[in-house]
Amino acid sequence: MLSIHELAQALQDSKFGDTIAESRYLYPIFEGTHLLSLSLSVGLIFLTDLRLIGVFWRHVPVTAVLHQLRPFILSGFAVLFISGGLVFCSEAATIMASPLWTLKMVLVALGGLNALYFEFVIAKRPEVVENHPVLPRSVKYAGFASLTIWTLVIMCGRLLAYVPRAGS
Amino acid sequence: MTTTEKVLAGIQNSLPGQLIGKANHMVIAVLQLVHVFGILLLLTSLILMSLRLLGLALTEHSLPSLAREPGRLLWLGLGLAVGSGVLIFISGPAHYYYNKAFDVKMILLLSAVIVHVLGFRRLAQRQAVRPIPARIVVTISLILWFSVGIAGRAIGFV
Repeated sequence: MLSIHELAQALQDSKFGDTIAESRYLYPIFEGTHLLSLSLSVGLIFLTDLRLIGVFWRHVPVTAVLHQLRPFILSGFAVLFISGGLVFCSEAATIMASPLWTLKMVLVALGGLNALYFEFVIAKRPEVVENHPVLPRSVKYAGFASLTIWTLVIMCGRLLAYVPRAGS
Repeated sequence: MTTTEKVLAGIQNSLPGQLIGKANHMVIAVLQLVHVFGILLLLTSLILMSLRLLGLALTEHSLPSLAREPGRLLWLGLGLAVGSGVLIFISGPAHYYYNKAFDVKMILLLSAVIVHVLGFRRLAQRQAVRPIPARIVVTISLILWFSVGIAGRAIGFV
């Protein structure tokens, strides 16, 4: 059976991975898209978190922010994941060797779980659904958790750029 | 040595230039992180205001009441990005000065700020906006700011 490392090496050495890594335009385009699509995905999550914490847009109901920004946040994440996946294909084995990558993936998973827990448990509580003036503390905690997790994800991602690229 | 080269060498040899240049890579890495978070804050605030201006979200709330806070966050983001950017530039002025993408980035940045101050910001302060002019200003603004980001990414590749 192939180990994960061998699979990653095979992906990196595949025609597909190699084409991205060697192309003058593909790698920069995918990497740039990955970085800039953060503004639609994680960026809008950050502003939502600030609303949950209660320091941003206090006059706008939490439910309005959550529901109306959701389609844009989700499309942002679609672009973020696809572009990130394409960058990954070109340097899978090299980048997986860095502990920063593992940490980033663990944090992304935590960010996802936090969002799911918020969406399906905390946001379903009557105080949130009915937009009470005082919201349960868990709303604020979820906002802080999300803000912290995604900040760390971006830090890991930016620092991963210092891992030498395959072939360069 | 031309005057330009002298100026660039002067910046690099100045006290702040020496301090940043000689500092370990962690200092540059931290500046790069601040730069990224500044850009993210700026672009996200811009997107949020744009969604309202285009009538795509939160139309039940008045435009000025929604635009005030993201408007400030945009300037905070710009401040962080420019502040960290200046320090990164000081660490290796010649490297950036002779980079084509850097020139393009600076021109785009200046244009984006002008369009923001004269167009976007004024539009976002109004109680009601007409859809067509709003769409034009928002589109130009989004293209300019995102192009600044693209040109910035290009610095590392040209």
